[in-house]
Amino acid sequence: MPGFASKITGSMKSTAPPLILCPACDLAQRRAAAPARGRAQCARCRAPLQRADDAAIDTAIALAVCALVLLVFSNVYPLVAMHVNGHSRETTLVGAALGLYAQGYDSLAALVFLTTVIAPLVQILTLLYVLLPLWRDRRAFGQNAVLRVLRHVRPWSFMEVFMLGALVALVRLAKFAEISPGIALWSCGLLMLCLSALTSITSTEQLWRWVERSAE
Amino acid sequence: MSAPATGRSLGLLLCLDCRATVRGVTAARSRCPRCQAHLHERKPHSLVLTTVLVVSAAVLYVPANVLPVMNTRTFFEDEQDTIMSGVLVLLHSGSWPIAMLVFIASIVVPLLKILALGVLLVSAWRRSARHRLQRGALFRMVEFIGRWSMLDIYAISLLATLVQVQSFASVIVGWGAWAFAAVVVLTLLAARTFDERLLWDTPPHD
Repeated sequence: MPGFASKITGSMKSTAPPLILCPACDLAQRRAAAPARGRAQCARCRAPLQRADDAAIDTAIALAVCALVLLVFSNVYPLVAMHVNGHSRETTLVGAALGLYAQGYDSLAALVFLTTVIAPLVQILTLLYVLLPLWRDRRAFGQNAVLRVLRHVRPWSFMEVFMLGALVALVRLAKFAEISPGIALWSCGLLMLCLSALTSITSTEQLWRWVERSAE
Repeated sequence: MSAPATGRSLGLLLCLDCRATVRGVTAARSRCPRCQAHLHERKPHSLVLTTVLVVSAAVLYVPANVLPVMNTRTFFEDEQDTIMSGVLVLLHSGSWPIAMLVFIASIVVPLLKILALGVLLVSAWRRSARHRLQRGALFRMVEFIGRWSMLDIYAISLLATLVQVQSFASVIVGWGAWAFAAVVVLTLLAARTFDERLLWDTPPHD
């Protein structure tokens, strides 16, 4: 182990609040209790610091399961259908990426597929893979690597942007065609809310607090 | 004022993977004792990588705005839309809130991001100590708004998929959309490779 001489500061043994470093300016500070209102800020650069208050692991698991069900719905049912001159056409979430692929834009299709299907899926599955064992005070095999995957994939999950993009597309189409929203449009909207709630209660700090607690 | 106590001055490192504060690590190539990630005092090659990404984004910004992002073929006409003309189409069809939304997400945000990252890079290369609070806030804004530029790409992909009614109308994606998506991805990557802490590593006189 190369880290034989190193220690993590602020382990349970010390009584002083743990020393943390601001990720935005490297200032060392004691983690104070969460302020009554608003978020904790760095004393020097005013970047928001992670809250010290705790979320329940049960809530995170419930939200992740909920998001998984909604993601399945969003991909199985049609997103929107368009009716014009007796012709009808509908698309699913994956269909949006496939449409680009069909026109020869492979990389663009991959980008859309990655940000609307793969990234949310990986985000949900990695969280469940790590959280379910932790809930039972166990650790998942390869936990650290899986958490690293989560940290790199999460910023590319663009569900909320996709919803707004879908709105723009529907406004443009509504002029010359009849549009009927499908089940997946509603489940995508709920999925968007579910994922943002999930992301906000499973910060990196929070995940590792759960990991450390299970080790005691 | 004495120099503030930073991780660097105290010999502490922040693990970017698990946010642990690690003490007593000096050698490069050491790993975090909690999550075994590689530790770095600052993100490696941050300024060079970010500069390359921002310059590439700035170059691609031109074709992204000049080339058509989609061609709409109908019985009567063959219409080419750039990003800006797409905004105008929305404006003329009476949906000005949506037109404003697309204008901000597709034209203002990418330009603002490239300019803001440019300002941050120049000040970091020059190790400037002025207006650090404002520059920190500017970087957080770039991080926050970045993803919203993808909006037009999703709208175009849905239009291209839905509008394929034989002989009546079809929407064909143009290379402008490719260039535009590349600009968005490059600026998102640039915001991730940039290490904000470089803005604060300068001597602390403001």
